[in-house]
Amino acid sequence: MSAATNHTRGLGHLAFLQGLVPGLLHYRLGQKRLAALALGSCSLLFLLGWLCVRERLFYWALLTPDSPPGGRGTTLLQTLARCGLPLTLPELLNLPANALGAVLAFDSSPTGERLWRMPRDLEHLAGWLTAASGMLAAFWSAAGHWELRRRRDGGHTPPVAVAHPGLCAGLSWLAPGLGHWRAGQRDKGLVMGLAVVVVFAMGLLFAHGHAVDRANASVWWIGQNLFGGGSLFAALVTGPWRMEAAPPHLDLGIVLCTVAGLMNLVVMVDAYTVAERSAFPLPKSAEVAA
Amino acid sequence: MSFLFRVAVYVPVLYLIAIVVVGQHHTTAAATLRAALRRTGRWLVWTAGLLGAMWGLELLFIGW
Repeated sequence: MSAATNHTRGLGHLAFLQGLVPGLLHYRLGQKRLAALALGSCSLLFLLGWLCVRERLFYWALLTPDSPPGGRGTTLLQTLARCGLPLTLPELLNLPANALGAVLAFDSSPTGERLWRMPRDLEHLAGWLTAASGMLAAFWSAAGHWELRRRRDGGHTPPVAVAHPGLCAGLSWLAPGLGHWRAGQRDKGLVMGLAVVVVFAMGLLFAHGHAVDRANASVWWIGQNLFGGGSLFAALVTGPWRMEAAPPHLDLGIVLCTVAGLMNLVVMVDAYTVAERSAFPLPKSAEVAA
Repeated sequence: MSFLFRVAVYVPVLYLIAIVVVGQHHTTAAATLRAALRRTGRWLVWTAGLLGAMWGLELLFIGW
């Protein structure tokens, strides 16, 4: 057994939690340059967006940390919010930057709460950037886990995949099917990618472009953002459009765009798996069962 | 009209979802599209069954 194998086994069950800190897995695996790149890229993306949205991130959390009505006491949610844990997804996946942003921006006074609700210029794009930092952290984490698996299961000569699985997942986030294209399953990637894009486009059409809006439908947006290219398009093009009246099929549009995001989650995982299996193929019996 | 609109949205979206779901078990586009067609048919049967069951419950508890 090689020294590298022993080293990776030392990470044990903490590997998942270490993935929440960009670069930590790479650092533990001895890839210090990649670790610095992971931490730097995730922090930079978050900073670019955070400079615009700041405390508005609390308003987009799954649970908004409002102060208790009529009371002055500190709720558990507010305590968590102070350290960046109010379930702002996917920013939470970039744990250190999200926590630092929360420490710098949290203000539980009534004025602070008004600022959470105040729309900002360019907030569509800035909100996408902070979210992209969380998604990027997840892809760096996937890359770290892949390296961990390669060293653990690869023996003395760890196999090389046809494309990096973490990269394939990341490419699929931006453009569904691109990860499959990179991994060699080009026509299947095209079909799966088209399926996601068509459902997302139908959603935007039914809602007259207002289906993807983090300020108005922040919980739905978490799912929609799983198709990063689509949510970026919405942030740049349709998000800033004025809505004079709610379109008749707004709800349908929001649901379709969210379904497209969830479909893309499957596409991302499959792109990772296709690349992974080029290095670690399934045994023949398992292929027949699948 | 409302029923036709719902069907016109539901069936194609169901097929597109099926493409992504069954795509995980195939390596080519042609195999994926064929399998997605079969899976959509199966899901439509389930949909009809569920709608029938809900309609039956409505008749039972609320009446005609």
